[in-house]
Amino acid sequence: MEIRWDLDDNTVIDLRVGGFRKNRLTINENEIPVDLTLRGKNGYSFQLPDGRAATISVEPQFATRPLVELRIDGNLIAPTGKKPTLCAGCGTAVKPNDKFCSACGHEMPPAEHYVHKRYVKEATGAITLLAVLFAISGPLMYYLTQLQSQPLMEKLAGMDPDDTYPEKIGGDIYTVSSLKAQLEWEPWSALIVNLILAAIMAGLALWGRRAPLPAVLIAAATYAVVIVLNAIIEPMSLAQGILMKVLIIVFLVRGIKAALALRAANG
Amino acid sequence: MDELTEQPGLHCPRCQVPLRTGAKFCSACGAPADPAAIDTERRQTARDGARFALHWIGIQRIIFLFGLLLLSTLVLGMIGRDDTTPWSEVVMSVIDAVIVFAFAASRYWQILPLLGPPQADMREAIRLLALALAFIALMAGYFALIEKAGIPIIRVSSSFEAAGWGIGLMILIDAIMPAIVEELAFRGIIQTELEQITGMREALLIQAALFSVLHLLPMMFPSHFIMGLCFGYLRQRTKSLYPGMLLHASWNTLAICQEVYWT
Repeated sequence: MEIRWDLDDNTVIDLRVGGFRKNRLTINENEIPVDLTLRGKNGYSFQLPDGRAATISVEPQFATRPLVELRIDGNLIAPTGKKPTLCAGCGTAVKPNDKFCSACGHEMPPAEHYVHKRYVKEATGAITLLAVLFAISGPLMYYLTQLQSQPLMEKLAGMDPDDTYPEKIGGDIYTVSSLKAQLEWEPWSALIVNLILAAIMAGLALWGRRAPLPAVLIAAATYAVVIVLNAIIEPMSLAQGILMKVLIIVFLVRGIKAALALRAANG
Repeated sequence: MDELTEQPGLHCPRCQVPLRTGAKFCSACGAPADPAAIDTERRQTARDGARFALHWIGIQRIIFLFGLLLLSTLVLGMIGRDDTTPWSEVVMSVIDAVIVFAFAASRYWQILPLLGPPQADMREAIRLLALALAFIALMAGYFALIEKAGIPIIRVSSSFEAAGWGIGLMILIDAIMPAIVEELAFRGIIQTELEQITGMREALLIQAALFSVLHLLPMMFPSHFIMGLCFGYLRQRTKSLYPGMLLHASWNTLAICQEVYWT
């Protein structure tokens, strides 16, 4: 990944680490000879052209981008984001490390603020992902369950509603009409449960902006319970989409850690 | 005049602009002029890291306990609730109890203060009693509503009846034991651990949510969330687990009696 810090009008630091190209650290396009690796947590100290002491710490994370921090004389420096940083007072684009807005004089928040914002985004991002997934899987499950029950429904259509169905299903005896009602209800219940879960996750994601840790913990627990519930109903479901599940759990754990880091920093 | 001259040899530790005589802060960037203050910032970063590590360990303990309880529910669900004998249920609740007691024992100094007698004066006791009664009325109303809506509730009594076990055993295994184990797990271990990380109110909310989802019955999520809040509140007010256990066990017993005698 590549990170850029626009320190001031005449100093730009670029870091490239991980990926396929060579790792390198440059100040104003001049390469600094440091041995960058992603093995374990590492700190690199160097000097800026004006003599200030800078340290970059690189901490690899499991399955996600490494955590990179630049400090100059102990002060955290905000990296330049993809989107321009806007002044909260007047909306003009400012440089990320400006102390004051050059257009209106509004005081800009410290770099920690941007780091916290990223933490909150990480924590709520995992929950939003779950909300979207449940919202998509609702209609999908509806159609899949309907498709599955179609052959049986066609068979039942030709039978007398008051007859008992000749075979036992799950150890129980059904009449034709009650079996029909059951089959008609199943897709709807799948849809409703998924949409309720999507709504819960959306609510948690919103709440997560104010209270990230409780929101992400509750979302993670709910997701774990949904997996277990599905596994009890249909043991094979445990293996279905296992990669997706692992990925979501990684995201959730990352979210929990981000929320904890935020809480530690806010004291 | 004197105050606005630059002091030779002194620079702002953050932005390197020369400092004015006697300045406590840099006039260019607002950083404290004392280099020690920068040191404090560094120390604070280190302290944040330590606090994060401590909290992460606490969260890991909660995830571990919750995961084990969830796993035992999964195993019970997969081998299937046998309708002819309650033994699978008995074995799983004993396993749950062992897990929870082992957790409690491993951090006994956190749990011990909660095992003292409840602390409440007369007024408070009456208030909490009223809360308990209101809670039972609310739950009874909710469950009556669910039954009226025709949503099936799992009958716990059928396997006991099939095996010829009496109501005394049923109350012991399905009402009193879960009350003790769940109070110890959620109001004892999890809430105490969370209080050190998040503060009282959020701890109360999170443990109630964890408690409600662990019951694996989507229809019961709202009711068990309120239950969790109620028991957690009792534990916070009285600084003891016993009132919650008592209320929990009474509610369970009431539910079982309702199932056996009135339906």
